[in-house]
Amino acid sequence: MGESIDVVEMFKQAAFEVDNRRLPDLKPQTVITTLGMDSVAIMELVAWFEEKLGVRIPDEQLSKIRTVKDLRDTIARLLPDRQFAA
Amino acid sequence: MIGVVPALNACEGEHLRGFTFLGAKGPGEDLFVSFHDLRLSAQRRAAHYAAAGLRRGDRVALVVPEGEHFIPAFLGALWGGLIPVPLYPPVSLGKLDAFMEALVGILNIARPRVLVTTERVGKVLWSAVGRIASIEKVITTEELAKHAGSFPAAADVRDDEIAFLQFTSGSTALPKGVMVTHGSLVANCRAIVREGLEADGAKDKAVSWLPLYHDMGLIGFVIAPVCYRISVVFIPTMSFIKNATLWMETIHKHRATLSFAPNFAYALVTKRAKPEQIARWDLSQMRVFGCGAEPINPGTMRAFLQAMAPAGLKPEALLPCYGMAEATLAISFVPLDEPLQTDRIDAERYHADHEAAPVSNGSAFLEVVSCGRTFVGHEVTVQDDDGRILPERHIGGICFRGPSLTAGYWENPEATQAAFRGGWLHTGDLGYKVGDRVFVSGRIKDILIVNGRNYHPQGIEWLVNEIPGVRKGSSVVFTRPGAASEEIVVAAEARADDAAALVSEEFQLAVSDVALVPPGTLPKTSSGKLQRRKTREQYLNGSIGRTSRLGSTRLAVAKHLALSLVGRARHEVRKLLGG
Repeated sequence: MGESIDVVEMFKQAAFEVDNRRLPDLKPQTVITTLGMDSVAIMELVAWFEEKLGVRIPDEQLSKIRTVKDLRDTIARLLPDRQFAA
Repeated sequence: MIGVVPALNACEGEHLRGFTFLGAKGPGEDLFVSFHDLRLSAQRRAAHYAAAGLRRGDRVALVVPEGEHFIPAFLGALWGGLIPVPLYPPVSLGKLDAFMEALVGILNIARPRVLVTTERVGKVLWSAVGRIASIEKVITTEELAKHAGSFPAAADVRDDEIAFLQFTSGSTALPKGVMVTHGSLVANCRAIVREGLEADGAKDKAVSWLPLYHDMGLIGFVIAPVCYRISVVFIPTMSFIKNATLWMETIHKHRATLSFAPNFAYALVTKRAKPEQIARWDLSQMRVFGCGAEPINPGTMRAFLQAMAPAGLKPEALLPCYGMAEATLAISFVPLDEPLQTDRIDAERYHADHEAAPVSNGSAFLEVVSCGRTFVGHEVTVQDDDGRILPERHIGGICFRGPSLTAGYWENPEATQAAFRGGWLHTGDLGYKVGDRVFVSGRIKDILIVNGRNYHPQGIEWLVNEIPGVRKGSSVVFTRPGAASEEIVVAAEARADDAAALVSEEFQLAVSDVALVPPGTLPKTSSGKLQRRKTREQYLNGSIGRTSRLGSTRLAVAKHLALSLVGRARHEVRKLLGG
């Protein structure tokens, strides 16, 4: 079902497109709210993922997403047929 | 002039006007609920509440993100004479623990017998619910939508009865629930719709993305429209945050005439709207773009008007207003057809003499937005600390009285007496009057007194926000005790090396310390406003800015900065190489 999805790399791309922000050190365990993006920019980033991957992350699941890995796991649950990079 | 319950009851037969919920039936599929059907769905919820044993005056907590589920659950509680308590849902990223703490704090004060939520949100909330002794039952909106027994008659509520509790976004440690009465609702809705907006449900249509657990969204776009049968299109708040241009897009598509939002939303949409979108939009029919709920930055307003001018937006559509939950919602509106008016006052005389003197040539000035005038039967005065009414252009505490006054704070007589004294609501805002026009210039509690002069942190914060490297809207200015006088401290998220120099230059005010903190760590209220007092407390007790973490924080900031400079340098090189 297509190539595997690398959420960390996609996150870097999203942060650049949405907030003009470069995150070369981004890791799966990075806590998203420490990246210096304001809450609106973070939601715009979530929207970027939703559009690229054609998913809708339910609002109430957002509060549980702390790290990039949490985001990856949430998206992976929504797209059970796709492969995700570790 | 009738109350919201009788008004809802009178909606029988109103099939053409009603509420539209964007995307509520699926992506791109909107849900329209006529006022006739809204009345029926409120009655059905009231029947469920009655079957659950709820009686008049019982509190019902509502944690429901979707407008199409929230509104019937809320109106159903009003129908039965219950007291709904709207609460914000857990929707911001990674903030579950802080959310739960705030939720438990409010629920312990409101003591609801029932919590209404959705099946999905309920799964997140269950751990908090167990900690609230008063909650006997959790009812989901899915259950409320099911068939119910015979519908109860509308409760015959008196004007002085509490309609709902509006928890204000003050400190999360001591939340205060404003007691909005049926009488104050009627008075304020009439003032807003008839006097402020001169709205007519046959011609007007409103668009709102505002959250429904706050006064502007709930009263302005649910209760007032039900009372006057004005159709409203609701954009889910999260959809707006994710894509701010949806706000203008929806106004354009629905030929809407009325909308309100806080200052930040105007800044966001101005930033996000692309010229080709603006060229496509027609905003010429918009009568009112209301702006309130947070300090109004004249620069933001002018930038918005300029950006949207190609879409035919009339400058006089912009309508600054002033209000607060303690006044039900609205205190003053700029008259319709009056363009943005600001007052340029002499900064020196403002700080030193507490007077708002029109600026003379060349002097430093402050620019304050006119928030218009109050409504018939209501009064705004500016008072000194002893309750004496000050003459015009004298700075003092803004006070308000009239039928829109709420009944104070739920089970908090101390706070009620502090804010509602001598028949006046003491708003806690500083300002002045010119004729009947109200100008709001700052918050009393936040005022900075340095060497006997008063400064408002807002103006300094706006300046700090302009510094490259500072996260927009993430700086807090406050004072610390100094040797001779109070000293100014700037706390900002991210890099703010230049803050001290810039503030000194602009305000002739020395900055004694700049505390850099990691992004997302300055204390905020439930609605995301920075908490100046709490930041100050944390600074003074050493938990931010001056701890041993300071070194590592500064290091991290420096490292981050170095990396972003490397990134920028690479970008510049690539540009030079044409790649």
